[in-house]
Amino acid sequence: MKSLSNYLQSQRKRLSLSQEEVGFLLGIRGMNKSAKVCRDEKFAREPSLLDALSYEVIYGRPIRELFAGLYEQAGQDVAARAKFLGFRKLRKPDVRKQETIIQLAAKAGVNSSKQ
Amino acid sequence: MIKNKSVRILAIAPLSRGLGYAVMERSDKLVACGNKAILRDKNAKALAWVNRFIQFYQPDVLVLPNVTAADTRRAARIKALHRKIVAWAGKKKVKVRLVSVTQVRTQLLGEPKATKFAVAKTLAEKFPVEVGKRLPPKRRPWMSEDPRMDIFDAVGLAFAFWPSDK
Repeated sequence: MKSLSNYLQSQRKRLSLSQEEVGFLLGIRGMNKSAKVCRDEKFAREPSLLDALSYEVIYGRPIRELFAGLYEQAGQDVAARAKFLGFRKLRKPDVRKQETIIQLAAKAGVNSSKQ
Repeated sequence: MIKNKSVRILAIAPLSRGLGYAVMERSDKLVACGNKAILRDKNAKALAWVNRFIQFYQPDVLVLPNVTAADTRRAARIKALHRKIVAWAGKKKVKVRLVSVTQVRTQLLGEPKATKFAVAKTLAEKFPVEVGKRLPPKRRPWMSEDPRMDIFDAVGLAFAFWPSDK
C-alpha cells in the first residue's frame, strides 16, 4: 500500500482544530487563511519547509509521518540515484563513501518490500 | 481473510439521504470519515462522489454493504446505485468486498441482533477522537434518523472488514 501524500486532515481533526485556526497558527495573513491549509490537505500544493515544520509543531508528529507519501517517494528517488552513483568510478577508493552509497541504494529494496 | 494487512480500504454506505464514507488503513487507524447529503439526482451525484473518493484516497479495497443478503432490505434505487458502484470499482480495478449488517453487529458486539445505536456507541468508544463527538442522541420513536448515523454505518462496515483479534 502506498501511503497518502499527507495525513494533515486526519491530524487536524484529531485535535479538533479548524482550517482557519491552523492557518492562523501557520502565520498565514489575509482573509483566506483556510484556503492554503485546504490546498495542503487536498494534495493540491506542497507546503514550504517552514510550513512543514510548523505543521510538525502544531500536530506534534514528525514530518515523515505527516507527509508519509512524500517521504516514501523521496526515499525511493534518493535510492534510485544512489544506485546510479554506485556505478560511477571513483578516482580515490573511499570505503566510507562506498558504504554510504550501498546503504542508500539498499533502501529502495526495503521501501518497495514494505508496500 | 486478509493475508497482507497493509491495505487502505474505503467503506461506502449508500443510504436514502446520501452516503457515508470511511477510510481505514488498519483496524485501529481511521484516516477519514464523514457523510455527504445528496438532494436531487441522487444516484448520479453519489457515483460522482464515490469516484472522487476513489481518486483521492486510492483505496486497495472498496467495502460495501451486502444489499442482497437475507437480513437486508434496501430501496430499489439504492440497489441500483450499489450495482453501479460495483461496476465502477471494477472499471477502476479496485477490489470490492461486501459486508452484511449481521457481520458488523457480530464483529462489534458479538450478537447479530444488536441495535444500530448500540453499534454506533461501540464505534464511538473505539474511535473516541475520530467519531466520538459525532454520536447522535438515541433515536426516540417520534424522531427521524439523525444524518450522522450514516458515518457510523460506514465506519462499521470498514471495521468489520478487518478480521477480529479474538
